[in-house]
Amino acid sequence: MRTTHLLADLQARGLLPPAQAQAIANDEQARPMSLHQELRAALYLGITLLTGGLGTLLYQHLDDIGHGAVIGAMALLMLASFGYAWRHRLPFTWGQSTAASFVPDYALLLGCLLFLALETYVQAVFNVFGNRYGLATLLPAVLFLALAYRLDHRGVLAMGLTALGAWVGVSVAPLSVFTANALFTSRLGVAGVLLGLALTGAGLHAEFTRRKPHFAFTYISLGANVALLAATAVLFDYYPQPWLPKWVAVLLVLLMSAGLVWYARHAQSYLFLLMGTVYGYIALTYSFIQLLDFSNGEAGGLLVSFYFMLSTAGVILLFVRSKEFLRRV
Amino acid sequence: MKMKAYPLLWATQEAMEAAASRWFRRQLLTDAQYQAIKTAYQPDFYRPGLLLRIGLVLFTCVGVAGAAAFLALFGAAARLEDFRLLGWAVALGCLGTQEVIIREFRHYRSGTDSALLYIGLFVLALLLAEAADSLTTLSRYSAGFGSAYYTVLLLPLLGLLLLATLRYADRLVAAATYLVLLALLANWLLILPIGRLLLPFVLMLTAVGSFRLLQRLRQRPDYLYYRACLLVLEVLTLATFYLAGNYYMVREGNAEISGLYASAQIPLAPLFYLFTAIIPLVYIAVGLRRPSRLWLLTGLAAAAFSLFTLRYYRSVLPPEIAAVLGGAFLLVLAVWAARYLRPARHGLTSLADAGQPTYFNLESLVVAQTAPAPTAPTPGFEFGGGHSGGAGADGSY
Repeated sequence: MRTTHLLADLQARGLLPPAQAQAIANDEQARPMSLHQELRAALYLGITLLTGGLGTLLYQHLDDIGHGAVIGAMALLMLASFGYAWRHRLPFTWGQSTAASFVPDYALLLGCLLFLALETYVQAVFNVFGNRYGLATLLPAVLFLALAYRLDHRGVLAMGLTALGAWVGVSVAPLSVFTANALFTSRLGVAGVLLGLALTGAGLHAEFTRRKPHFAFTYISLGANVALLAATAVLFDYYPQPWLPKWVAVLLVLLMSAGLVWYARHAQSYLFLLMGTVYGYIALTYSFIQLLDFSNGEAGGLLVSFYFMLSTAGVILLFVRSKEFLRRV
Repeated sequence: MKMKAYPLLWATQEAMEAAASRWFRRQLLTDAQYQAIKTAYQPDFYRPGLLLRIGLVLFTCVGVAGAAAFLALFGAAARLEDFRLLGWAVALGCLGTQEVIIREFRHYRSGTDSALLYIGLFVLALLLAEAADSLTTLSRYSAGFGSAYYTVLLLPLLGLLLLATLRYADRLVAAATYLVLLALLANWLLILPIGRLLLPFVLMLTAVGSFRLLQRLRQRPDYLYYRACLLVLEVLTLATFYLAGNYYMVREGNAEISGLYASAQIPLAPLFYLFTAIIPLVYIAVGLRRPSRLWLLTGLAAAAFSLFTLRYYRSVLPPEIAAVLGGAFLLVLAVWAARYLRPARHGLTSLADAGQPTYFNLESLVVAQTAPAPTAPTPGFEFGGGHSGGAGADGSY
């Protein structure tokens, strides 16, 4: 329908001869619809459901004699998935490898998820890691990172990074980072900041040495988010953190936001521009309100409302100019 | 004042940009033609990508809140403390600023103008509700749904939203208009004694009627201007048709209207079982045959809701077994379809469309969010100490 209107407009302007317009209309009719994204989503949903169900089954039959069948099936399935992904591997490259099919990618993901379920089970029943609790999270982190680099898989890289976060004791997942960390009650501020800075550094390294530069987004989006959120939470923490005074946290947030905006210009990324602006704006507003003297109530209120009007107008102008801003590297 | 807030040309420019590059990629246009089209339809408006639009909405809302606080403080200083006055000032200020931003800065649904429109309409709706409260003797709390009060409230609201949709062609406003229309119809029906029995069928008929009307509107010369609205409304009519016949919605809605705490069996239950089972399959079939992504995705969502309906009333399988079987089924189906549809069959393909953006980066974030992180066993916790001890001890599944 859109095509009809557009072709009519083109012909009215004399930019397209009628025969060609007919050819385009026919092509639009005959062009197959791509189910690529839908099938990928279905594969991922299937894998998540399958491994989640199997993990729960394992727990429920932990003491049954018949659980051997479940474990055997899971182990076989895991080996088959890893084997399939490995058999379809491409030669190693620091760049991005382009596979013909997306099925091996998801076989690898399935293998990694099954590995996690089995590892938890083995620890629960045989207590292999004993009291070395760190090992139980470091092992999957190392394995996943190695697989991610060898088989060039961003999803497995993200799994490795969440495992690394679990080793440190911080959730780095993009949404759980807000909910799972209990930032206002726990003492995760410093750990979160350090882990986030390390991940951001790894991302910058990947980008600038051109070693898997397409991994940089995963590293920086997860890392910078954790670091900025942990540092911002310090600002609003009622009890001051002993290792991270508030003025250091403000400086850190401002520096990291500036760094993100700088990186956004380098990578032409609107996500990082948005992240840097939002976190930087929060830190700036916090400092502004802290510095204000509220002894004469009404004037302070007027000043704050005036600040919000002007500052948001400034940010909106920055966004409107963002295309030119990002292009000027 | 002209009917449309944005020039019709902007919509054409935006649609042409995507279409021409696709035709060029498929070698239906020569290089010279493509360049000519690009210069002829050079976009001269501002509409950034989704992320920046979200940011613009966010900061516009903060800015409007600041401006409203400024006005309120100013009013308080000048002894003007009427809530309604402030409301009118904010609403008219937002809508006026939006017009200026569109005309002077050439924003085309950029986030800033949309946010101003939403805030303005929201405040106007509040003022209307307040006016309805003072006009009728009935209050919102004494009058239930199905009374004259809601007619007085919803009818002017429908008019306001309809005018805003016609002028700004905004998707959210169009959706709100449609939902208010449905609410108004339901309200009128529930005044009748037999209305409750007829409600599902009237809603389904309304959906069919709206869908046919939308098909007619596609022929209009200003279709491109309203295209996004029409797509959203098409999805909504499909959803209404399904949900109005869905057993869960009818049964729980019936209980809600009757004020029952536990829902009871409804009349004509087998008919609604049938609707719940068949409609998603029809949607999916139409989506694959036509082919139409809109029908397909709506059908898949409807199928998921039908499964939820089934599991809500009948415990078919324990959840973990259902997850394993369902996951395995999805997995096998997707792998089979990926191979079967390569390169293309029946007008469908599993290969990536060159025009579609790839969401690899988004995918890695989804994996980071949904994949369980390995958990170190907490010290002192003994696993497997009894049948209930092991289950659910770990929060990651």
